[in-house]
Amino acid sequence: MRFWSKTTKSARLGVSAGLLALALAATACGSSGGTSASSGASATPHAGGSLTVLEDSGYEGAWPAGLDPATNTSGAADQSYMDSIYGQLFELGSHGKIIPDMATGYAFSNGGKTVTIHIRPGMKFTDGTPFNAQAVVWNIQRDLKSPCTCKPTWPVSSVTAQGTDTVVINLKMVFAPIISSFIDSTANWIASPTALKKMGEKQFALTPVGAGPFIVVSDTLSSVLVLKRNPNYWQKGRPYLDKLTFKSVGGDEAAYEALLAGEAQVYENMSTPALLKQAAQHFTVVNQLSTSPYDLQLNTAIPPFNNIKAREAIYYATDIQPIVSHIFDNLYPLTQSFTAPGGICYQPKVPGYRTYDLAKAKALVKQLGGLTVNLGTINILVAKETTQALQTEWAKAGIKTTISSYDLGPLIQQFTGKKWQAMVQTAGAYDPAAGVGVGFRFSSLSPFSGVHDPRLDSLLNQASGTLDMSTRCKLYDQAAAYISQQAYGPFYFSFAPANIAAKGVIGPGLTSPLSSVVVTPNVPWEDVSNSGGSTG
Amino acid sequence: MAAEAGPAPAGRAVLGSPGLRLSGRRLLAAIPVLWGVTFLTFVLMNLLPGNAAQELLGANATPADVRALELKLHLNEPFWTRYWHWLSGVLHGDLGASLTSGQPVTSILAQRLPVSFELMIYAFCLSVLLAVPVAAAAAHRPGGWADRLSMMVSMAGLSIAPYVLALLLIFIFAVRLQVLPAIGFVPLGQSVVGNIKSLTLPALAIGLPLACFYTRLLRADMVEQMQGEDYVVTARAKGVAPWQVLIRHAMRNSMFGFLTVLGLNLGTLIGALVIIEPIFALPGIGQVLLQSIHDRDIVVVEAVVLVFALIVVLANLLTDLLYALLDPRIRYGRPAA
Repeated sequence: MRFWSKTTKSARLGVSAGLLALALAATACGSSGGTSASSGASATPHAGGSLTVLEDSGYEGAWPAGLDPATNTSGAADQSYMDSIYGQLFELGSHGKIIPDMATGYAFSNGGKTVTIHIRPGMKFTDGTPFNAQAVVWNIQRDLKSPCTCKPTWPVSSVTAQGTDTVVINLKMVFAPIISSFIDSTANWIASPTALKKMGEKQFALTPVGAGPFIVVSDTLSSVLVLKRNPNYWQKGRPYLDKLTFKSVGGDEAAYEALLAGEAQVYENMSTPALLKQAAQHFTVVNQLSTSPYDLQLNTAIPPFNNIKAREAIYYATDIQPIVSHIFDNLYPLTQSFTAPGGICYQPKVPGYRTYDLAKAKALVKQLGGLTVNLGTINILVAKETTQALQTEWAKAGIKTTISSYDLGPLIQQFTGKKWQAMVQTAGAYDPAAGVGVGFRFSSLSPFSGVHDPRLDSLLNQASGTLDMSTRCKLYDQAAAYISQQAYGPFYFSFAPANIAAKGVIGPGLTSPLSSVVVTPNVPWEDVSNSGGSTG
Repeated sequence: MAAEAGPAPAGRAVLGSPGLRLSGRRLLAAIPVLWGVTFLTFVLMNLLPGNAAQELLGANATPADVRALELKLHLNEPFWTRYWHWLSGVLHGDLGASLTSGQPVTSILAQRLPVSFELMIYAFCLSVLLAVPVAAAAAHRPGGWADRLSMMVSMAGLSIAPYVLALLLIFIFAVRLQVLPAIGFVPLGQSVVGNIKSLTLPALAIGLPLACFYTRLLRADMVEQMQGEDYVVTARAKGVAPWQVLIRHAMRNSMFGFLTVLGLNLGTLIGALVIIEPIFALPGIGQVLLQSIHDRDIVVVEAVVLVFALIVVLANLLTDLLYALLDPRIRYGRPAA
């Protein structure tokens, strides 16, 4: 900086032209060296200051429907904003455990059909109205009635308040993952009923009111969200930051350069391996713990995968290790089931799982008289690169593959059209029975499943109806073994993006890994501090 | 121009102004153009797979959920009914409300258009201000060092995709030199200098490729004028300095083609907003357009396209009016003298 201030304008332009050429060359050569991740320093949190967080405009950086829990269908992607504004009844803590937050605890009774949730007493929304059991019940009932599919998928018969601090949820049947599923449903975010009624739904979605650690200052949809500290937040001394700004930016490269320029301090969920390597040289890079492994869904209702030999050929023709090594720099652990390191019941190995065997794959393809596959996936980089690598590998076994990638709408149409053959997707969740869990991809009842097997349905239903965790995990082991035995779909690797933070920023998810909720982790921004500079 | 009509009451003189008559005719002719643009956009949006209900409800939506929301948003109605509903709203001054957020489209436009409009003007001015002197320097001595250098830079500028150029500019001016911000927007009311600085890199990312194109075009035209036109020979024979011949005579004649291209290229300028705004985290209308197309929010897409189409129509009308300023012989609505 000092050097440049002494140069003349023309000299700057000349050097700029040189830099342009250098930068072009650097772009062409790609990244060099670097570690895959570096751990942040453990330091004492610093109260005050501000922080600017960048989010990819293609996913987390889009909140086009606003931030009302009942109507924001991008809730899973927008959890940073939602948590900051509303707080959470339960949160997924640093050690992969569900922790009561604005709730203080819960209990099952009536054989597991009644769940009693205790609400932290004395809290207030930022509009001054009480945050109590009545408000929680009002929100959950509103969520359940909402047409949004982000609503809780519990088998509820009633939700009532007992006194001011107790909520009672009666279920039609035992649903063991009910507490786990708070973290990936809208029921976790409690809006101020008074503010919502006063403003109306549309306005509330733009200027939401909760009891979370931060208060909305301004909200330009899918562009900039400015928050300030909630001085009356229930947890004394939190949040550390006085101001928190989220900015939507067009992709990993632009975000990385903005971080380098010092105009933001955090970028959530980077997934470009080459940039991760470079970022580790300048910033704290923390790879998160995955809960949703990539898998290959096979449509067993139509040819060619209604024939187990075709499915087996795919298992044998796939060597996932080189793909993870060469494309993803060994960032993600391999798995043979729908569980992952950040979730419960993690079991990466499945007995009898068919591993890479090119000779067997070729023999099966020969027996089938050839195998042609239409392989699809969602239109994101990791998934597309995986399909390209699979196409190359399968070709060695004589499998002819056509690959396609789809945006969300067309992808859903592929599933509802039921003509799809194979899809690279993610299957699994923190709790396999919650959210986009195993049932979402393998249950007969799901429109996004390629499997229609009553025995597997029964196993999955038994698991979700069992309160004892060790018994549940055994049932999921059995389900994973059954999926493998029937060759219903191979599992690949447990992908989770990384968070990038400037030096001086500390907090869970930024200097230590967190388990992912759905695909991305849930940074508790009230626990984040920044002792470095900020443009905030 | 009005003086040619002779003495007349002021009101009639204004109404009888050829420029005004031209404007009236062109604006009338713009009506079917604008209608055609909105209709084609509506058709294209309907041809895209998926709809707003599906996008709003997300991946977990059951067909029943989607159907229910389609009914609520009237997406189940026939194409013509939906289009007429939208069109009649527009004719009554109501651009509707976003299917996604429920916000009135007019308030979305009011919030986002000023950012994009400012960026467009800045990029436009930069492209012209860079192109004209460079083209003049290149045309002054064809084959000389200035010409060769401008050719090299122009080719490089035209070859780089705007996305890559944007990242390079950020790398140089924000990361290395730290003289301009990499992202974000500072409103004009907050800080004039901050506002200009926040828009400089995006304007350069849009304006530089255009400047390169304009440079080549203007340079070629001026060289042609200088080499083959009688008035240039005459001026030279009179002893007018070569620079004066170039600037006062050749450039003025070259401006006709240049102005036409400027008007026509406005569409390129608008298209670039969609790519550039998200990279620089600018809360403009290009970002909204991209998001709305993704969300199948046809009401917002239609309104944005309509506004952009109107800007292009008006800009081209302005171009035609400028012809008359450049060449007094041109009188619209009358045979040339």
